[in-house]
Amino acid sequence: MEQEIRKTALHSWHTSHGANMADFGGYEMPLWYSSAKDEHLSVLQNAGLFDTSHMAVLLVTGPDAHGLLQLCFSNNLDACVGLAKKPLSPGRCVYGAYLNEDGTVIDDSIVNKLAEDEYMVVVNAGMGGRVAEHLGAHQGDRDVAITDLTDKVGKIDVQGPMAGKIMQKVLAAPEVVLEKMPYFSFKGHFVESSPLADAVRLGNGTPILLSRTGYTGEFGFEIFVELAHAVDAWEMIHAAGQDFGLKACGLAARDSLRGGAVLPLSHQDIGDWPFINHPWPFALPFNAAQTEFTKPFIGDKALLGAESADYTYAFVGADLRKVSTADPALVIDAQDNQLGSVLTCVTDMGIGMHEGKVVSIASPDMPEGFAPRGLCCGFVKVTAPLTPGTVVQLKDNRRKLKVTIVEDVRPDRTARRPIKEML
Amino acid sequence: MTKEINDLNLPDDVRYTEDHEWAKQEADGIKVGITDYAQDQLGDIVFVELPEAGDTFDKGEQFGTLESVKAVSEMFMPISGEVVSVNEALADTPELVNSEPYGGGWMIVFKPSDAGAIDALMDKAAYMDTLKGLE
Repeated sequence: MEQEIRKTALHSWHTSHGANMADFGGYEMPLWYSSAKDEHLSVLQNAGLFDTSHMAVLLVTGPDAHGLLQLCFSNNLDACVGLAKKPLSPGRCVYGAYLNEDGTVIDDSIVNKLAEDEYMVVVNAGMGGRVAEHLGAHQGDRDVAITDLTDKVGKIDVQGPMAGKIMQKVLAAPEVVLEKMPYFSFKGHFVESSPLADAVRLGNGTPILLSRTGYTGEFGFEIFVELAHAVDAWEMIHAAGQDFGLKACGLAARDSLRGGAVLPLSHQDIGDWPFINHPWPFALPFNAAQTEFTKPFIGDKALLGAESADYTYAFVGADLRKVSTADPALVIDAQDNQLGSVLTCVTDMGIGMHEGKVVSIASPDMPEGFAPRGLCCGFVKVTAPLTPGTVVQLKDNRRKLKVTIVEDVRPDRTARRPIKEML
Repeated sequence: MTKEINDLNLPDDVRYTEDHEWAKQEADGIKVGITDYAQDQLGDIVFVELPEAGDTFDKGEQFGTLESVKAVSEMFMPISGEVVSVNEALADTPELVNSEPYGGGWMIVFKPSDAGAIDALMDKAAYMDTLKGLE
């Protein structure tokens, strides 16, 4: 059944600001405004503003909400915060995925703990219904309510080193809100009646949920706001950002930024294969030795028993040229033996090679006169393990590219920097 | 799309192809580039791969690739011929394809095997009709 394409609350803002629109996850979203490259660079050097209202938001509440998420979510809510693996406390959030019994991925997600017995689950565009159905199917006699808030909430991301300074301009009480806000924590609530609503308000009184998370690898925030206030919030932040070089950014920049930050795109880099042997082991409840899981969950046995599972690695190229994963693109060795396939191939426009090392335009030690033109990067899925530093070739219908298997791509990312350094 | 058809820069003094390229007769041969529509659809051009002078191609054969932030796409010969010169400036400043698609963003100049073949390419009005058909 063909579904009508959906629009976010900001759709007319995008089109009236010259956005090149395209279908993504059933929504018509901006790909870029005037230049995806400039948008990508602005997030590395200043800040970018993204409409991510297409993402789905579920509320999971009740005495057994914790138990249901522990069963269905890949991360361990009792042992996931920080290096010490402390329990998820109110105001903290954690990344993980929902798996099938066979270990394949339904979707990935950030789970926010609003209060005891109250979780906000953020999943990908068009996936709210699917994940709610999955949770419902495993609910049994648990006392849990699952509410889909997707059509009631807008989401706006402010990402980049200037994001904190911009939020200082638009928040009602920035000195209180932005104090002690570590990576993967949040404050406030977008529903006026919530007891959390007073914790974070914009200057015009609109309550928001402000989360120190994002999908760019750079310092910044994700903002959840009631739909009726989304355009006002966007315009307020956009206006305040003009003094700090903020640009409205489309999905093209989002994709290239997340590629350089080694973050997966659900249904592309993770999907219909076992969620194991990938660059995101922090999404799984491994013990210290990485041999066992610290809790049982749906899919766990398939993951630990998956001896034939493929391996996913990040790679970086020698220049900015890409292969087309639509062809599809294959991974081959020097003898043309097929090793696997390319999941993502994008160009991070802010990085380049300098003396054999990847350097970013935002690197503090950027060499004098260094003007990177970008490097291709992304993920490959191969049938046998590879070690970092291994050179493989990516091949599509057009070209062969030599790329290197790496543990990380864009250096000197700011996402985890202490907030006090960024204000 | 970003630009409406009426906002596109479509000069009268070039010919057009269905691959959204333009061709213009100049003193040393036929100059080829991509149209304003093509650059607008592709977005930022970040890399251009061009042939070398002396290479020969048949009509419709791929002579180069354009790499945008979004995708990689091919450029095809509008007419059979031999490449006389290529735009070396695009190696360092591929953004010229976006900013000056009919000027500094040209791709190649080639000597056609059939000097009259350029007349068979579309004029502006016919190309506009093609674009309207894409809406």
